[in-house]
Amino acid sequence: MSTRISPGRVLPDQRRQLLDLYESVQKAAADAGLDPLLLELLKNRVSQLNGCAFCLDMHAREARALGESERRIYLLPVWREAPDYNAQERAALALAEAITRIGQTQDVPDDVYEEATRAFTEQQYAVLVWSVTVMNSFNRLNVTARTPVPEPKR
Amino acid sequence: MSERIQLSAALPDAYRHLARAGRVAEKAAVEAGLDQRLVELVKIRVSQLNGCAFCVDQHTHDARQLGETERRLFLLTAWWETELYSEQERAALELAEAMTKLVQVQDVPDEVYQRATKVFAEEQYVAVAWVATVMNALNRLGVTSHKPPAER
Repeated sequence: MSTRISPGRVLPDQRRQLLDLYESVQKAAADAGLDPLLLELLKNRVSQLNGCAFCLDMHAREARALGESERRIYLLPVWREAPDYNAQERAALALAEAITRIGQTQDVPDDVYEEATRAFTEQQYAVLVWSVTVMNSFNRLNVTARTPVPEPKR
Repeated sequence: MSERIQLSAALPDAYRHLARAGRVAEKAAVEAGLDQRLVELVKIRVSQLNGCAFCVDQHTHDARQLGETERRLFLLTAWWETELYSEQERAALELAEAMTKLVQVQDVPDEVYQRATKVFAEEQYVAVAWVATVMNALNRLGVTSHKPPAER
């Protein structure tokens, strides 16, 4: 794997802004009463779609540390076919996928929007969109930089 | 177009941070010696790919204010077919497109990275990458909100 320039390292001020944004969204999530495990599921799924190994490594660990099961992380790429996710999680995953895929579809379809706003309060819905948006930003920077995953612990 | 929850108003604090990130990226671009019109071309192209009408309207307006020509904006969706864009602009557009299409390819290919880092100094390259990243974030909020273009 080649070593590439890291946009976050070269512009630390800019990186600080993005981390402040992340913190602000995390706080809004707690205020809105969203389960941190749900947010971790979304961060993992978005990172799967965007192909960010560094982000997957970090968020699979974080999900496990919060008590997420191995199986629910394994089945995440095929969540539609698996019985392991509840109606709220399914609405949130469909929303996260649609937001991540706008480069392909140019829209977040009405049915996805309606399902998400039915399953969540307005504020919870807004926090989910922001969280997915911020994760997409981290994915872009780390994929572009080919940020390596840390060495495995023995 | 249906009315949807407006995401910038729902989390004003988060929006303030994102807007600030956008300004810092632009300042970095200008300080690295990049033409602001190149920055606007990148923002417009990314917004076209993501389908954000509000953002395309905003940034074509801004580009025209900066002296950009109609013709270069009209042909931007087929930029690689023409001689209207400089080598730097082409490299920036190619990088921005690759970063925006991540979900299709799960990578920014080596040749794209190499062309970009050949025509740009390191500070210029990272500024373009940040501009494309922030624009992608703003597009996600705009598209999901079905944010209408401003009346002009």
